[in-house]
Amino acid sequence: MNSVVCIKRVPETAEATLKIDPANRKLEVDNLVFGINEADNYALEQALLLEEEFGGEVIVVSVGPPETDEIIRMALAKGAGRAIRISPENLSELDPYSIAKLIAHELEDEEYDLIFTGCQASDDGFSQVGVALAELLGIQHLSMAVKMETEEESATVNRELEGGLMAQYKLNFPAVITIQTGLNEPRYASILGIKRAGSKEIRVVEPGSWNEKMVELNKLSFPPPGKMAEIFQGSPAETAEKVCEVLKTKGLL
Amino acid sequence: MSKEIFVIIEHRRGTIRDVSYELLTKANDFANNIGGSTAAVILGNELDEMVQHLKSSAHKIIALKNEKLGDFHSEYYQEALKSIIEERSPLLVMLGHTSASYDLAPALAVAMGLPLISGCSDLRLEGNKVITLNQVYGGKINAEYSFETEKGGIITLLPGSVPAKPGGLSAEVEEVNVSFEREFEDKVFIQFVESAAGEIDITQAEKIIAIGRGIKEEDNIAMIEEFAQSIGAVVACSRPIVDAGWLPKDRQVGSSGKTVKPKVYIALGISGDFQHLMGMRNADTIIAVNKDPNAPIFGAADYGIVDDLFKVVPAIKDKLAQL
Amino acid sequence: MSAGDLEKHDVLSCIQCGRCTAGCPVSIRTTFNIRGTINLNLRERKKWIQPQDIWSCTTCHTCASRCPKGVGIVDYIMGLRSYQVERGKIDPAARDALESILKHGNPWGRVREKRSDWIGENKVRILQEGESTEVLLFVGCTPAYDPKAQKSAQALSRILAIAGVDFAIMGNSETCCGNEVKRMGELGLFEMLVEDNTNLFSKYKFNKLVTISPHCYNTFKNEYPNLGDKVIHYTQFLVELSEKGKLKLSNDNEAKAIFHDPCFLGKQNLIYEEPRTLLKAVLKEELLEFDRNRERSQCCEGGGGRMWIEVDSDKPRTAEERVRDAHYYGAEILATSCPFCLLTLSDAVKTAGLEDKLQVKDICSIISPGEGEKDGQT
Repeated sequence: MNSVVCIKRVPETAEATLKIDPANRKLEVDNLVFGINEADNYALEQALLLEEEFGGEVIVVSVGPPETDEIIRMALAKGAGRAIRISPENLSELDPYSIAKLIAHELEDEEYDLIFTGCQASDDGFSQVGVALAELLGIQHLSMAVKMETEEESATVNRELEGGLMAQYKLNFPAVITIQTGLNEPRYASILGIKRAGSKEIRVVEPGSWNEKMVELNKLSFPPPGKMAEIFQGSPAETAEKVCEVLKTKGLL
Repeated sequence: MSKEIFVIIEHRRGTIRDVSYELLTKANDFANNIGGSTAAVILGNELDEMVQHLKSSAHKIIALKNEKLGDFHSEYYQEALKSIIEERSPLLVMLGHTSASYDLAPALAVAMGLPLISGCSDLRLEGNKVITLNQVYGGKINAEYSFETEKGGIITLLPGSVPAKPGGLSAEVEEVNVSFEREFEDKVFIQFVESAAGEIDITQAEKIIAIGRGIKEEDNIAMIEEFAQSIGAVVACSRPIVDAGWLPKDRQVGSSGKTVKPKVYIALGISGDFQHLMGMRNADTIIAVNKDPNAPIFGAADYGIVDDLFKVVPAIKDKLAQL
Repeated sequence: MSAGDLEKHDVLSCIQCGRCTAGCPVSIRTTFNIRGTINLNLRERKKWIQPQDIWSCTTCHTCASRCPKGVGIVDYIMGLRSYQVERGKIDPAARDALESILKHGNPWGRVREKRSDWIGENKVRILQEGESTEVLLFVGCTPAYDPKAQKSAQALSRILAIAGVDFAIMGNSETCCGNEVKRMGELGLFEMLVEDNTNLFSKYKFNKLVTISPHCYNTFKNEYPNLGDKVIHYTQFLVELSEKGKLKLSNDNEAKAIFHDPCFLGKQNLIYEEPRTLLKAVLKEELLEFDRNRERSQCCEGGGGRMWIEVDSDKPRTAEERVRDAHYYGAEILATSCPFCLLTLSDAVKTAGLEDKLQVKDICSIISPGEGEKDGQT
């Protein structure tokens, strides 16, 4: 069973102080640490598990700058066979459609049973590339997979709906499946493994300037203060006291 | 180009989902501003009852009927929508940013050659451009995206972006019997699966203490359970805690988990991305503890403490013990 | 791993006497049996046996210290772990800790830009590249980020300031020492950290490298190149200061205290006296001692990656036994000098329900001259 896994390099922004560049177009990245997008990591693991069970090859694809090789090498260390990095010149201006188009273009000559992506990227949160890719390739897709039972040529997949409900589908290959977090337990890429993976192929594609996009990013900004919580100031003892007062006033103690 | 806004109605098991009324509210406002109109597009098999519910919320209802449209199936939905959109050329097609649209919208956009902006919380028209507001980087930054409306376009709106309000309209209903030239046998809907029910029903709880990534280790949950017990609360969580297997799925609050409405919701170490906020924003009182002063949870909370939960929780326990 | 590894760690000389397992703190509460693991691997050399329960090991070194044949048992366990690390299938919490060290330079998943936030109101100099200082204080990841352990860093820096020591820290440039990384069997990451840290240290001039954690001390002292003589644990340094008269300690603390020897300070580096010297100097009453003290000290289960890895057991943690013992001996303060011991023992005080009776404190928080007596937050 051959799988393609699309992964994205994203900054970890949960605790970091974010800064926007003077042109209001990009995040300043000097103080940021990057890694594989969380859902993509689960997608990668799913492909590796299938390769272990059914044999075949796992091919990693990523659209990103040369620094993306860091996460690609990790994927190769975990067991992917080879990788394709697509680095257009105008990378930061691309919309999900043009990214899907770039990937679809590179996959024309590949043979695969399944294409995996994460269901959502933690940076822009669009949830588009996987499903758009399926449409471009003319194959079926399922998004938000939280459970997957795989056979040689088909899989039974549970998609996550709202409210804890799942919808179960039978899906024949070839297909694109976008993976939700929690589907499996991603493995660790050891440093020695990453070094050894240095000998595996990363094919670099440089399509120059890529002009397929339909959506423009106008600007980035910090959310206005808006409605904000009343912030309790002081030591833990003081803030704790205020919490207790709130609970007491509302008759909750 | 018409000035009609299509709103794709989402329903499950015979009930229209709340997000559709929010969408209609937003679409009606948008249409008013540009002198346009709204059409609620509903796809399914038995639609009469749901159509009645929609009547006051749009200028027009387009009911697309076929037995294959009974349960959501993105390929059949896409086929049916493609022909009606091609035929009517609406200015804009709006969907909820939900599980259904994750499966449908990107493929529909590609198939029709339309621009798509997913997950926006607001939108406006400027000249011939649709401009949207999106929350990116976990809600810590706002992004403004746009596309030209020459051919139309698709947007998906975050659930909870606007409160649904009555439209006061009276829609004309147009029924269309859809036929499909092909069957999608490579993708077959089998059934709905409920996640296993646990012992505790967080949707009924009056007091909830919810934990997120900030709890750091599974071991630390015991301390929270103890705190919860002392005030008669139940422990709930955000998605990463369920992904890690530290709490069962039925304790997860958020769009892919449960929607709760307790009297008090204490969020500990939860940054508060929109999926989580969706599940708890209707709590009477929300208290958030987080180390990051810019965590989006403080935008949803009534009271906040910018500090380490491992400092604050013991202090609250101490205070409670003194009462 | 091959038969070569058995030779490398002298495992072939094992006589299966079982002293290792008999002394092992986790064999009491888990299925882990190191004698049995060695036995299996000696008998089935071609089919290498790598049981999952090797992750129960705290690398406390009791087994190796007691082995009559000098088998490198702990190194051998690290070797076994390294094979599982290579395959990538390790406990998710251990995985997250290791990935965090690679990305952020600490195992706690916290961003680098907040590494020196613990300083708060304290006056601590952050060394710039090329600058020199007499003492470079290596804070360590846990005292840098954990709210309980931060108190140790704050207390120690106050003491050093009061004693007039010329000291500084590396601020946000400081990176994980790698002691636990090595013990979790992630040898490649350990090598990388040694290289990075050696590079980092070369950018500053200092005569002493003082650590708060015995774990940092251990690896800098014994496993880094060219650092050995400069490395000193803070308890040793404070004794030095007090002997030189730079630090005045007065025995006005009326609490009854008992000392828990951290494994990486005591049985692995034979530092038994200095912590006791400091405690005796500040306590009014006689320092209490556990029956199991010094080289027989019972491990708190915080070492060897066990800060992140939970084990299956229906028996209480050894730390819980330890705090019950401390209470039994009549102690009001359980003193230690290791951030991991501080955290595991503090948690155990809660599970044992001894919160009103016993406080766990790092020695530097007990002798800290500026510190109030009853802050109540251990």
